[in-house]
Order: sequence, then structure tokens, then C-alpha cells
Amino acid sequence: MIDESLRWVDDRLGIAKGGRTFLDKIFPDHWSFMLGEIALYSFVVLLGTGVFLSLYYVPSAHEIIYHGSYLPLRGQRVSEAYASTVGLSFDVRSGLLMRQAHHWAADIFVGAIAVHMARVFFTGAFRKPREFNWIVGVTMLILAIVNGFLGYSLPDDLVSGTGIRIAYSIIESVPLVGSYLAFFLFGGNYPGSGVIIPRFFIIHVLIVPLILLGLLGAHLGLLVKQKHTQFPGKSKSERNVVGSPMFPTFMAKTTGFLFMTTGVIFLLGGFVQINPIWQFGQYESYKISYAVQPDWYMGWLDGALRIMPSWEWVGWGHTIPLEVFLPAVIFPGIVFNIFYTWPFIESRHTKDLAYHNLLDRPRDRPKRTAAGAAMLGLLGTVFFASSTDVMANFFDLPLMGVLWFFRIAVIVVPIVSYFLAYQICNELRQAEGLGKRKRALAVTLTESGEYRTEESEPRPGDGAGVELEPVPVPAFIDVVPPELATGEGVRRVMR
Amino acid sequence: MPKDHQAGEAGTVRRWLRPRTVAPFALVGAVGIIGLIAFSPGSAHASSTATPAPVQATANTATSSQASAYVSSNANPPHLGGQAPSKQLGLYYITLPRSYIAPGAALFAANCSTCHGPQALGGTKAPNLQGLGAGTVDFWVSTGRMPLANSSIQATRKPPRFNRLQTLEVSAWVQSLTPGEGVQIPVVNTSLGNLEQGNTLFTLNCAACHTITGAGDALMDGAYAPTLHLATPTQIVEAIRSGPGNMPRFGPGNITNTNARDIAAYVTKVLQHPTNAGGIGLGGIGPVGEGFVALLIGVGALMLVCFWIGDRA
Repeated sequence: MIDESLRWVDDRLGIAKGGRTFLDKIFPDHWSFMLGEIALYSFVVLLGTGVFLSLYYVPSAHEIIYHGSYLPLRGQRVSEAYASTVGLSFDVRSGLLMRQAHHWAADIFVGAIAVHMARVFFTGAFRKPREFNWIVGVTMLILAIVNGFLGYSLPDDLVSGTGIRIAYSIIESVPLVGSYLAFFLFGGNYPGSGVIIPRFFIIHVLIVPLILLGLLGAHLGLLVKQKHTQFPGKSKSERNVVGSPMFPTFMAKTTGFLFMTTGVIFLLGGFVQINPIWQFGQYESYKISYAVQPDWYMGWLDGALRIMPSWEWVGWGHTIPLEVFLPAVIFPGIVFNIFYTWPFIESRHTKDLAYHNLLDRPRDRPKRTAAGAAMLGLLGTVFFASSTDVMANFFDLPLMGVLWFFRIAVIVVPIVSYFLAYQICNELRQAEGLGKRKRALAVTLTESGEYRTEESEPRPGDGAGVELEPVPVPAFIDVVPPELATGEGVRRVMR
Repeated sequence: MPKDHQAGEAGTVRRWLRPRTVAPFALVGAVGIIGLIAFSPGSAHASSTATPAPVQATANTATSSQASAYVSSNANPPHLGGQAPSKQLGLYYITLPRSYIAPGAALFAANCSTCHGPQALGGTKAPNLQGLGAGTVDFWVSTGRMPLANSSIQATRKPPRFNRLQTLEVSAWVQSLTPGEGVQIPVVNTSLGNLEQGNTLFTLNCAACHTITGAGDALMDGAYAPTLHLATPTQIVEAIRSGPGNMPRFGPGNITNTNARDIAAYVTKVLQHPTNAGGIGLGGIGPVGEGFVALLIGVGALMLVCFWIGDRA
């Protein structure tokens, strides 16, 4: 019955072949290959909760009098955007849970992208033939950051309004065209003609998610087409992929992971407060609060702005505010350009033009690992620099001392990380067998009173030459010849 | 090797039902249900209305009862703008009884005169206190800032050395040196405060340093705006009127007595008991705390899940 109807569908659509390829896609079992899925599933949560929020959010800067259930705001003039966000938090069933889950999901989304990207970088998974997918990934990272910032700004509260004010100044700092760009985006001089909220809204809910979805399709399509990379190991080669098939093993695993991700996000959304905008109040350009930070993924830009000395260039009737332009435009520009071009920089340096399906251990490529560590050191330092005031207050330190610490650290930390990582890689490489299980030593006393130590028998799975017998794959998958399968539930297919 | 591999359908089903495979589903199911039960149906709504509700209920009983004992008149009201201070307004200033002056002089001589001088005229180490009024002295002493622990840093809030009566006695003595001058000790009935007005005024005048949640923050080298989460209504109004340390002094022409009452009400009723409808408040320091939670707990937990369901070799 099911067979017949499926055949009926397939006769008309011809999807069985592609479906077969998809169901037989092999996923390597190493845990680090699942980091990207955290991002994927947080994105799913973002879409779901985002649709819910868009049903109640009003993208308008039009001023109304607040009459909701949060008493301290009653009677205040607030924008419809702010009033509707407070309203969906307090007066809509499960609205606050959805809003907080959306926000946590965004924070986790970018975090997972960063971790996934680090895995891809340090193992060399971006090398030929996967440069395109690396570029697609970096683009998605930028879009995720941009969209996070836009979404953070939508409630029109005091804290996010400060962020929009900074964004305006950053756009304005671009030489020659800055003022025009800022006027174009904001519809006039700051705070603009009330168009910024509806504009941010449509970019946040339509344009960027649409591009992200398209890029996500490309990212996963390329992944299926090019097949996964894998760590070198027994019976793994450049020409095969060893792992679990999409159906049934990986599908069960990944569905479980979808629910785990959703669970963690909603747990946070339920138990830990994020962005309590009702405490902040409506944004007005004449109001200001101290201790204002952006969400964490913008922290590195905020930190760069904070530690930059106040330099500016004046000439021919123009001012170029280098203290804004360098850290907020040039610095991220350089960082993202390094990200984009890294596969090509590296292949030019190594003259390595071969196909790579086997991954590197980070220690085996000390220069790349050290470069990555330096970049992480740089970004980490400016990231922490964005909380100078909170640190100074929390640890009872002088504020300018903290600031100067970061000004020096931003130069010192990347250099130190580079050489430290380089040294650690080299030493790890020289210690052969490090991280492998040691064979037990059996100590025996001979009759003549002499002690003797002998290596005990290797345990199964240890050492070379002890290979498990190949196991025939389950009968219902007849595409793969039995001799290609190895291990329990693990399959090997040729590329 | 297990037989499952050849066993076909039944074996496959059994394989899927292993604890290792089922555990994630079970855990996530439980998590989802707990989350939905605990947080969806108007629980946010309930707590949002619950916290501001006591506006009409609790007066600042401690301060008011003490006050009624000490009040002799509303003799010296510093009001230039707004309404005159009065009980009906919810903010008035007290005059301390003469009997406090003598014990206050003894306390001052024993604890304060080393730096401030025998007649409170100040010296190389400490400022002149004459003319500052009882309210100023009451603020510094009742918050524990005076006597100073360390004269090289900004005075920090600590458990006060004097009890309430001793504090008022010292204040009375300093006031007696310059009768009628300076800031008087206010009595604030926050139950009459207007929280909406307090919110607006706080955002305009206070949030720039004390932060919008009142958590306080570092300002410049060695200077910081302290947290407001410990301040009493009396101390808030005294601070507004006297401008301790780096804080500007707000006279009654700038912040009227009504305004001061509303700010004190907003700080003590809303900021000190924030509506953390969404769960743990993370100290009211905004995205810094949230970023740590998102990265360490959120991404961290999910990486542990990866580690759990993935291979490690």
C-alpha cells in the first residue's frame, strides 16, 4: 500500500534516486562535526519564534501613550514598537518565553557559527575543493551578526537605541559618503524621520533571513555534493567517507539533537532573563544609561571602539574621525577580508593545490594553528574590552587602568598567542604517541629475585594491525557492497 | 558481533530503542514540558502586576515612625519650586530635638573630630562640615561611608558604625553649629510616590551614571556611581539634595520635593525589586552577563551534547 503510493509519487516526480542519495549520505561520527548543527537548529528556532513575535510586534516609531500592565511605564509616551514589545512580553500568553527564546537562540546561533568555523579552520576543512563553502559560511556569519544587531534594535528601548546611535555615527564616519549614507538609511539627520524601525524590521524579518536561507541551502547542498571531510584514521582515506548513513542512524541522532538544541534554548528562555526592556524604558535621543553593551557578537566591535585613542584628521574642510572609522569600519573590514581570503592566502603560501578530504590535526599545521590562535587572541581581547566599565566596577579597578590594559593587550596577546600556539604544536608533534592509550606494563619477579617489566597484550582497538572484522551492512541497504562496511553501524563509501 | 545486523526490521527497531538513542528524546521532552508549563500561561503577566502593586500597600514604616518621634516642626523647608514639603505630599523635613545635641557633641569628638576638627571646620584631611546640614551628615554616616576606612579611595558603603539614634545625634550637633542652614533630614512616604513620574525623572537625571537598572558602574579612575539597590528613601533624597562625592547637587528648583519623592519611590519600589518576569535577572548589568550565559551555558551545554552523542576518537 505505502509502496504503491510511493511508486505513484516517484513515477511522477522521479525523486527516489535523489532521495536515495540523501538517505545514504554518510556523516562522520566525530563529535566536532555536529557543531554546525547547533547553528542550524538555533536558526530553526529563530525562524519559529520569530514568526510568533512578528504576529504581535508593531514596527512603527509612532508615539502612543502606554496603557499596558507594567505600572511604572503607564502614561508615558512610547513608540508603538516599544509598547508592542512590552505588550507581547506581559500581555500575550507565552510571549515573553518566545521573545527570550528568540534572543537566546540568536546569541547561541552566532556562538555556534563561531565554534563551527573554528573547527573548520583549525582542521583545514576549508582547503580545496571546499573554498566556496568557506566563503558561503563567512557570509552567513556576517549576515547573522548584522541581523542580530537589527533584531536587538527593534524593541526601541533605551539600551538598543544607544546602539543605533553608535551605528549612525559609524556610518557617518566613512569619508566623503558617510553623511549621505547615514541620511539615506535614517531618512535624515539623527534620529531620522521615524523610518529606521520599519526599515530595520523589513531587513530583519525578510531580506536577511531570505538570503540566509538561500546560503544555507547552498552550504548544505555543497556539503552533500562534495561529501564530508574526515579525520585520518584506520581505513579512512582521501577517497572514501567513513561514518553513519543519514538513514537510520544519523537521522535519529540529528533529530534528537534538534530537540536538545530547542530544549536548551527554551530552558534559557524560561529560566534566565534576557534584555528586560521594560526596565530600560523607551529610547529618546536625549536619554542615556551607563553600562550599555551590545549583544556579545557585536562586543568585539564595541571593544575596538572603546580602546581606540581619539585621533581625527581635519583638512580641506572635512573631518575624518579616525577614532570611529578605523576601529568600526576598517578593522572589521580587514578581519572579514582575512576570513574570506584565508583559503587562498594559505594555498599560495603552501603551494598546495591538491584535493583534500582528510583533515589536519591542528598540531600538524603549526603556522595555521598559530595564525588562528593569534586571530582568536585579537578578537577575544577586543571582545573583553567592550566590558571595561563593568570589569572596572566588578573588580574594583581604575577604569583608565583597565582601558590601558586592553590597549596594550590588544597588541601583546595576538603575538604571544601566535608563538605560544606554534611552540605547543611543535612540542606536541615531537611527543609521538601523545594522547594515545598506553599499554599496561606487567611487572614480574623472577626466581632469581630480578624484576622484569613487560608490555601487556594490546587491548582490542589499540595499536596497529588489530583491525576489526568487517561487518555486513543491514540487508535493506543493498547499494553498498558488504566488503566496504566496517564497524558497528559505520559505513564506508567511495567518493 | 550482535545479531542485529542480519536481523532486519525487528533488530533495527530494537537498536533504535537503546537508552543511548532514546535518552536525548526523553530529556528534551521533559525539558520542553517543564519549560512550557512553567512559563507560558500568563506567569509573566502575573508577576508584572504583582511587583508594582504594593504601591498603595507598604509605607516606609520604619522611617515614618522614627520621624514622628523626632519631628518638632517643618521649620526649615528648602522649597523653591513645586509644592512645599508636607506630610500630605509624602516628603517633609524634620528638625531634630535639642536634647540630641549634647550626646552628639560627645560622639563627634570621639569619632569625627580627629579629621574634621573639634568645631567641624575641617582641616587638611577633611572638609568643613559647617553649613552642610543634618541631612548631609545623616547620609554619610547612615550609609557607613563615614567614618572613612581609606581616605585615598572613594568612600564606600559599609555597615554603619552608629545606630540610628547616634547618627541623628551627631547630625543634630553639626546642625546646631549653623542653625537653619544646609540640607535637612527628609522623611519620605514612598506610598504616595508616582512611579511613572519617578521612572521618567530617574531616566533623565540618574541613569547616565547609576545605569538604568540602578546597578551602578565605574565612571573614571577611582570614581564610580554606587549601586542604588541598598539605598533607603531618606538616603536617596539626602543624596539628591546634598550631592555627595562626585554626584551633582540637585536643588529644589531642579528636582522639586514631589520629584524627589517620586524618584525615591521608583528606586525603592521598582529598581530594588525589579520585575524579573523572565527568570534570573543576572544582576541587571545587561548584555555582558547575558553573553557569558549564552556562550558558557548555551553553546557550552550544546557542545557537551555533541560530545555525548558523537564519537570522541
